[in-house]
Amino acid sequence: MANETEDAPTNSASESHATSADVERNPTDEDKNEKLLNDAVQFLPTDAVKDLLSKEVCLRCIFRLFGMQVPICSSLSVKSLLCHVLGEQADLHQNISSVEPNICRSCLGILQFTYCGDKERVVENESACDFAVAIAELVKKEGHQIDSFSLEVSMPPTILENENKLSLYVKRKYRSEAWFKDRSISECSSTKDALKFALTNPLETLLDVKCGISTFHIRLTYSRVEASIRIQNFVEKIEGCKRRKVDAKNCLDTVKDKSAITGVENSVVSTTEVIPVDEKSSNGLQDNEPSETHEFPLKKVNEPCRLECLCFRTPIYFGGRYLKYSRNVSQTRWIIDEERMGEASIEEIIGGNILPMCRGDSYKFHAAGREDIDVRMLGSGRPFLFEIQNAREVPSELLVKEIESKINSLENKLVRVKNLKIVGSQGWTLMREGEAEKQKQYAALVWISRPLQDEDFQTISSLKETVRCYQILQKTPIRVLHRRSPLEREKIINWMKIEKIAGSSQYFLLHMCTQAGTYIKEFVHGDLGRTNPSIGSILGCRAEILQLDVTDVKMNCFLTE
Amino acid sequence: MNDHNVYQTNNSETEETPEQAQQEREKEMQDDEEELHKLLLPNVHDLPLTPPSAIDFNFVAYFAPDFLKPGHDQYVYRHANGLCVIGLAPTHVAFKDEGGITAVDFNVGKSDRSGFKVTGKRKKNAQHFESNTAVCKVCTNNDSYIVRCCVKGSLLEVNNRLIKQPGLLNSSADREGYIAIIMPKPADWLKIKSSLLGLEDYKRKREECFGSS
Repeated sequence: MANETEDAPTNSASESHATSADVERNPTDEDKNEKLLNDAVQFLPTDAVKDLLSKEVCLRCIFRLFGMQVPICSSLSVKSLLCHVLGEQADLHQNISSVEPNICRSCLGILQFTYCGDKERVVENESACDFAVAIAELVKKEGHQIDSFSLEVSMPPTILENENKLSLYVKRKYRSEAWFKDRSISECSSTKDALKFALTNPLETLLDVKCGISTFHIRLTYSRVEASIRIQNFVEKIEGCKRRKVDAKNCLDTVKDKSAITGVENSVVSTTEVIPVDEKSSNGLQDNEPSETHEFPLKKVNEPCRLECLCFRTPIYFGGRYLKYSRNVSQTRWIIDEERMGEASIEEIIGGNILPMCRGDSYKFHAAGREDIDVRMLGSGRPFLFEIQNAREVPSELLVKEIESKINSLENKLVRVKNLKIVGSQGWTLMREGEAEKQKQYAALVWISRPLQDEDFQTISSLKETVRCYQILQKTPIRVLHRRSPLEREKIINWMKIEKIAGSSQYFLLHMCTQAGTYIKEFVHGDLGRTNPSIGSILGCRAEILQLDVTDVKMNCFLTE
Repeated sequence: MNDHNVYQTNNSETEETPEQAQQEREKEMQDDEEELHKLLLPNVHDLPLTPPSAIDFNFVAYFAPDFLKPGHDQYVYRHANGLCVIGLAPTHVAFKDEGGITAVDFNVGKSDRSGFKVTGKRKKNAQHFESNTAVCKVCTNNDSYIVRCCVKGSLLEVNNRLIKQPGLLNSSADREGYIAIIMPKPADWLKIKSSLLGLEDYKRKREECFGSS
């Protein structure tokens, strides 16, 4: 069988689309394909084909049923395929409509590349190539820069049922035939595989990249318009469910088109609306299903499936460390009653520079901890992660360095970024790893109600020597008590050191290293005695904190290499 | 830091030795540290002699003089997040007794206020008090006085330390000697706010205690 990946042969002159214009016209390839097609088609049992056609099974379903790989026919229209199969030349034109079904009862038009698209317009494509062109145009319209793609197809469950019924029917009817015994019916491919197979080569050609595992996804979702009715029934069966109304509405919404339902002439729609919620008897449609399982011919199909074609990139991640030089910049966008708190936010400054370079839809900001708006983040910086949704372009290493430089040379110098780079999913684990144990280092500007004495230096630093670490008990600070649980938390102060400030006897710099989650401000002023011990209680006087800076976040991720 | 094995690369002289690279890095780190230190040090001339306290900074002080009874002056410190810290104002009659406050008892009204536990972000199990509900009783050598809620709301916490250290009220009634923390609903706060005095008005009212400035 023809499994080679060759360029799709050009269409005959009667095709009016500029479809495979990208593909080189190569006469020898065309001839090769013609020959392969003819050879393959020879083995098709014409009677069986005609029988299935009469049962409104489309030609490509017939091909896949008999194990014929569709790719060789990627650019051929059904017309030319039928020519080969049935060998009739003369009155083919007139017969075409009576021969090939309008909508295949097995694949519901999917392998006929017919579907219900935007605004309920029914789209019919002559060949897989034409279909691929429509998809490729969507990719190009979005401006995606890709180096590969993965093709995903989702189909309604009916398709599988139909496939089974169809093979069962063929098995039963033709099992005694010679050609049946020669050919193993298990060679038949599923509708899904057949579609993917048909589209892969033309898409690879049009997009100029290979298909495989990729961050860029082309997702084709087929759904039946009538499927919404079945969902409605199911939902109504859920008794006493408070959310019933919402669910039903959501189900209808997922079909994405209420007008499609109202537009369908079937009386089925109206009968489901009439059925009272408490009734246990199922609607006629569902009752029929079990008995239909083994029945053939398949139900007539009036409408093709709805197709939703989505192309998107899975999120990409930027990792790095940020420094905050301002005492008026919050970490994330902070708005109360439509008024912004602070003059800017880290997330907006950095995200606002990354997002446009990726041409993404949106970003999500994650950081390893946070600091108050009036606390500066200095030293090595705090690790962060930006998640960019549906980036149209993945920036190169050079471009990423440019983004970093741009942020660092902003006029107001509020924020600085270090080691910005694109990271894989391991960025997440790196950040979350041992977050609770991580230590942070601070420098606080402290005032006490009496002059500093020599013993004070010892008192503060010796705690490190006398005990391995210093444990404090903090009740939930009053300033966050309104939104956090009232708890008493034990925290560890790893070390502390006083640095004298020249020219002042009551102000000094307090350097300290503490366990993650320690409230530093409360440790200094005592929070009305609810943090014990506190600097005030240790030094035996009143202590106040004027400024706080984070000087180190001791974590192993996104460090300078 | 000094390597004893000096290791030379084979190629051009412009390449650094690992030792040199190490020195470079260390110098860079030193420079970074110096820069950081410069940022940390404040300008001494900008520092106020006495900075505002955490309470002055984060709370707005209100006063309820003669709350339900003459001389029963209480304060309400309201935080920007809506929580209220209540306590005895410096002009409370209890302070006038010789020896000051000697004991504090939270077992008043129907239950011991120091006993219950409030849990969770939504502050379940918190008792809902009216403004005149008794929170505790403070005793002196001569007498005992009831301290009231002052603000209608949920009682989040009482200052248990006062049980063992009633002296806190004598030394720092406006800080470590606070009585309790209340969480009023916004509407309830607005109602009571109008009947409370700001610091200046309170000082004026109790002029004789504060003396003329």
